Amino acid sequence: MIGYTIRRILQAIPTLLGVTVISFFLMHIVPGNPVRILLGNRYTPERAALLSKQLGLNKPVWVQYFVWLGNILHGNFGYSYVYNKPVVSLILQALPHTLIIVVVAVMLAHIFAVFLGSVQAYFENSPFDQIVTVINYFFYAMPAFWLGILLIIFFAIDIPLFPSGGITNPTVTHPSFGDFAIHLVLPVVTLMLISVAGWARFMRSSMREALLQDYVRTARMKGAREFRIIFVHALRNSILPLITLLGLSLPGLLAGALFVEEIFNYPGMGLLYWNALNDRDFPILLAVTVFLGIVTVIGNLLADLIYSLVDPRIQYR
Amino acid sequence: MVSISLYMGCLFSQGFFVIVFAVYFPPRQDAKEPIGVCPVSNVLEVENLNVEFNMDGKYYHAVRDVSFYIEPGEVLGLVGESGCGKSVTSLALVRLLTKTARISGSVRYNGRDLLTLSDSQMRQIRGDEISMIFQEPMTSLNPVYKIGSQISETLLLHRNISAREAFAQSVEMLKKVGIPRPDDIMDEYPHQLSGGMRQRIMIAIAMACNPQLLIADEPTTALDVTIQAQILELMKGIGSEFGTSTLLITHDLGVVAEMCNRVAVMYAGEVVEQGKVDDIFYNPQHPYTRGLLNAIPKIDAESKSRLQPIEGNVPSITRMPRACRFAPRCVHVMDRCKVEPPPLFETDDEHVARCWLNEVKEA
Ligand SMILES: Nc1ncnc2c1ncn2[C@@H]1O[C@H](COP(=O)(O)OP(=O)(O)OP(=O)(O)O)[C@@H](O)[C@H]1O
Ligand code: SF4
Ligand SMILES: [Mg+2]
Repeated sequence: MIGYTIRRILQAIPTLLGVTVISFFLMHIVPGNPVRILLGNRYTPERAALLSKQLGLNKPVWVQYFVWLGNILHGNFGYSYVYNKPVVSLILQALPHTLIIVVVAVMLAHIFAVFLGSVQAYFENSPFDQIVTVINYFFYAMPAFWLGILLIIFFAIDIPLFPSGGITNPTVTHPSFGDFAIHLVLPVVTLMLISVAGWARFMRSSMREALLQDYVRTARMKGAREFRIIFVHALRNSILPLITLLGLSLPGLLAGALFVEEIFNYPGMGLLYWNALNDRDFPILLAVTVFLGIVTVIGNLLADLIYSLVDPRIQYR
Repeated sequence: MVSISLYMGCLFSQGFFVIVFAVYFPPRQDAKEPIGVCPVSNVLEVENLNVEFNMDGKYYHAVRDVSFYIEPGEVLGLVGESGCGKSVTSLALVRLLTKTARISGSVRYNGRDLLTLSDSQMRQIRGDEISMIFQEPMTSLNPVYKIGSQISETLLLHRNISAREAFAQSVEMLKKVGIPRPDDIMDEYPHQLSGGMRQRIMIAIAMACNPQLLIADEPTTALDVTIQAQILELMKGIGSEFGTSTLLITHDLGVVAEMCNRVAVMYAGEVVEQGKVDDIFYNPQHPYTRGLLNAIPKIDAESKSRLQPIEGNVPSITRMPRACRFAPRCVHVMDRCKVEPPPLFETDDEHVARCWLNEVKEA
């Protein structure tokens, strides 16, 4: 299994390189010159030329790429143009915030999806199944930003239960744990609702198939209760494909977090990325992209490894 | 980090259900209901069992007016070609058919009608007093659980014993069914075992609680010939050791000759002939039974192909002949056979046949 892991990591390197090439050149194609944005109304051609030279933006793009690549191989992700701080420290600052909403949302989404999907499959075509299916499609079709805005309108403005954004109440100097938690509610719910829908549908079909298998009949023959049949015998089997799906949906989730953070003004990786995009802050954009690429690769690898732990038939060598 | 947490979440939610399960659904500990003592009565008495399947809103008969009984310690054979309703009959007895099935008649097990029991009463009987071995050894075990836990599960569901005790008894069961290295096998998964081994495991699971009645649905059909013989030998030994009554379903009359006391021949959802094995073999009364007997391979006993003895096929349940269901394939068919369904005629002591040819003899 260790050999397999190393091989997978080595195989991921060309993919990651490809990701950096594409995002690097895309960034330079997108209209909007960082120098112009940085200088604002102090802009003169002379100042622009000087700043371009300082930032190394005057060289040909492919030269810039290799300079950048050489730097990150030495662990140097450069300085943000706008904040004038090391990119790494900005990312480390934002990362915990993103982690907490993504992790909490994914865990909740997973629990709901597994439970809903299983019960739906067991009571296939019942009114419960049909109603949940309709609700699922509703959230599945809904873009994250739209759902986020609706939630703000309903639960922050019309019924002011939760704050509409930020991580703590800005008027409080020493925020409590409860203050942090209440600011998490709407972003987490948004992210959760958009992921639950797809996973529950997936779980439903996977569970449906599992319940038709011969080993389920064997379990009934033993005299097991229906609850045990669903959640012990069929669940372990039907959850297997969900693990792979989780690995594959990782980039989508992080992209979802990007929108959610923007809407709720939540200072995580997503907001960092949005702001960097508006400012054409190339070092941040590139670093976040590489980071997301690495997370995705690790996510898929972990999904495969966990699959092999849960499914005794799979063995990696 | 993100992904690690993601998968923690994934595992967590499964753990969550297991905990909920453990808290709300502890293993059942209540004792079995006492069964009326009635020493000479039959273990199983099936009377006018009918099974219909709902297909697109209409009900079709898959099993019609099936009646038979099994005496204590007896092996009753149920034979017939593929698709004639053997599995449906056996699954109906223990109420394991899909919800689209409508069952009527009576299935008296030690005097209690299984068809009128509540679901929970039925669960207490399944796996404990009545067990079943299925036609598909390759898929009947759960692929993600160890053999050990799959055998002990039956014990834990029905006996008030500790997991350790159940484990020890499971190892004993594995020894009884002739599994080499039982301690190692307890820790292995189904995919590591051959078909014959898996069927032995299924027998161990079925026999773990020492049931009074074992239903074996073509236990050897999916296995190759040498393994078939071993499994039959094993079933014979275990059956007489435990004093189990057995309903042995097969399409192979050779198996019947070797294993059974009496036999019921099934065709298109009906029992067409029933009697002692010797009577059926040496004095068959129904043209279908004769057809089956003529088709037993005599010279090349190695042939394991399914028997297709008689011209034509078993009709599908949507297109049953109105009167005698065997009429389209019968060489003795008469006009009457196509309009009037034949009843069961008694031809001998404990020997019945569903064919108009027997009416004359009876008169
Ligand atoms: N759930 C179901 N819904 C509708 N029809 C069914 C269902 N299960 C079985 N049947 C039909 O009932 C008939 C009897 O099937 P059954 O499985 O009992 O045959 P069998 O005698 O066990 O054959 P085999 O030797 O192949 O196992 C077949 O025509 C089959 O198509
Ligand atoms: S009743 Fe008629 S058709 Fe049916 S088996 Fe007897 S002779 Fe053949
Ligand atoms: Mg069958």
